Amino acid sequence: MLRLTRRLFLLACCGAPFTVALGAQELSARLDQANILHVLAPGLHFLKGKSLERLKDGATVAILGQLTLSLDANVTIATRAIARFALSYDIWEERFSVSRFAAAHQETVARGASHLSPEAAEAWCLDHLTVDTSVLPIGRQFWIRLELRIEDGREGNQIIGEPGINLTRLIEIFSRPARAQQQRWQLDAGPLHLADLRRSSS
Amino acid sequence: MISNRHRLLALAFFLFCCLRVSAGTPQQPANRISSSVNVNSRYIIEQVQVIGFPASKLSDSLRSKLQKLVGSAYDTEALDELAHSLRKDLHARNVTQHLARGSSPEMVRVVLEVERRSVALDLSVPKFLYHSKQGWSAQMLASTAVARNHSFIFGLVSDGDELTERFTGIQAAYENIHVGTDHLRFRFAFEDYHQQWNRATTDALSDPTVLNAALRTGAPELYRARRNFQPSLAYALTPSLVVTGGLSFERLQETLPYLQTEGANAFAAGLQYHKRFDDENGGGRTADASYSIRVASRALGSDYLYTRHHWTGGYNFTRGRHSLSDQVTAGYITGRAPLFERFVLGTSSLLRGWNRYEIDPLGGHRLLHNSVEYRYRMANVFYDTGSLWSHGKVPKLKHSLGIGIRHSIFSLAIAFPVRQGRVDPILMVGMNY
Repeated sequence: MLRLTRRLFLLACCGAPFTVALGAQELSARLDQANILHVLAPGLHFLKGKSLERLKDGATVAILGQLTLSLDANVTIATRAIARFALSYDIWEERFSVSRFAAAHQETVARGASHLSPEAAEAWCLDHLTVDTSVLPIGRQFWIRLELRIEDGREGNQIIGEPGINLTRLIEIFSRPARAQQQRWQLDAGPLHLADLRRSSS
Repeated sequence: MISNRHRLLALAFFLFCCLRVSAGTPQQPANRISSSVNVNSRYIIEQVQVIGFPASKLSDSLRSKLQKLVGSAYDTEALDELAHSLRKDLHARNVTQHLARGSSPEMVRVVLEVERRSVALDLSVPKFLYHSKQGWSAQMLASTAVARNHSFIFGLVSDGDELTERFTGIQAAYENIHVGTDHLRFRFAFEDYHQQWNRATTDALSDPTVLNAALRTGAPELYRARRNFQPSLAYALTPSLVVTGGLSFERLQETLPYLQTEGANAFAAGLQYHKRFDDENGGGRTADASYSIRVASRALGSDYLYTRHHWTGGYNFTRGRHSLSDQVTAGYITGRAPLFERFVLGTSSLLRGWNRYEIDPLGGHRLLHNSVEYRYRMANVFYDTGSLWSHGKVPKLKHSLGIGIRHSIFSLAIAFPVRQGRVDPILMVGMNY
């Protein structure tokens, strides 16, 4: 049996907040009927700090999200999905509005929702960042990595070109470290099995 | 005629302009998210407020842009552009946008917060010109603002365009833009130039017939250097009308063999008017007028005794891509004025296309000039007409025509003097002339 020494007690007290924070930002996944993987991260709050300030000042904040699946603990990518979201904050209703852009053309809003609380807006973004699992071999374990970052102007210039969003550039951006001042989040989960994932109707 | 060298220069300049423009103009933000995505785009802007910078000091163009947004739907793209213009024009460190609720649920207020630099250092090239008859002219200024209201300016200049002489030297100034009130400014300027004279001017002064004519109004002297100290005050009666007054202590060092120094010390005063009127359909009109007077008097210990009046007036009308402007300039000198005070035609802005030394190598005491310019997008055509004469001479009206391209501050123009005989066009390339 583990003896509770004073040193161990102090270590546990100091480490507790970090453990709670890490635990709170846990990434889980579910499958819909079309075998599309959706992620959930109830503890992840990206509407905070500078981006929240900008939203409350009336700006439109763009968020880039990437969801990758791998078969070797995120060393090589088996499949990925990338999405771009635009968020704004209604100054009168004090609610958030979010739109997801179609990958083919940046001006085209694929889907959107409004009158959302901060938590609902965050959940909406995550729920619309999905990846098709049909490329995964049946029965193999896999890992999930979720990456989110607030888009800055310079990245936007590179991503958007004549025909719309340049996916190659987008992938390049996610392949290099984010700038020091750029808000970014990364969550990993795995190993998982498709058969173990919760299934839902939508 | 225009030589191959001039053609190459023009080509090189325009390539530079194209590069400069493409580098300087923000790429049409394909990345920008459409304003309609922002949930606040359904609200109407009730007020746009600028904080951190006195509203009275905003330029007419900025004020007009601010005013245009009031009453329109909240548009993040338009506000981004406005913030960019503010940052650029005010040399601010940053401009932050804030949104607040308006007086009723469908209205919003926009606040643009200007964060100014505590010590700003700006380098600028206010003038850069190549003139196929007069060569290069350029001015470079470095200015630094200290504690918001004080600024120090230092400049280098070599100008063969504005006066009979080519003057090369330094300029320095101290300026306080808030003397007790935002309406009153103080400026102390210092200039030190060395002169180069065109052969036509030196020949004219040695020609007895020209000299005799000049002697009637007081023979001008060539000088090799001049130095000026000029304190002045400017008071803004209204945002459109500014009155100035001050003194100018100018010392001229004559050329060999005399090498003596003469003073051209004068009281200087002026009045400037500038007003912009914006039309509802997106067009605009601008009216400008100015009057300046310099009175050199024995009371200030001046050796030259003269009075110089100078009037300008301009009107510009813009609708869509079309623009029409008219500029009138007039001048009148009584007494014996030094060569730098005499009026000149045949510059990059007055009677373009004529060689100034053919008109009068010594400059004149009377001036009347009008310029009409029509512009469509970048292309422009102009017609200049004017006369330069001195006391006792009959004024002769001269005309010139020209075509050019103007984009932002960059210009290229070819001007033709209207006269019988051979056509000798003049090429002008540069910026801010």
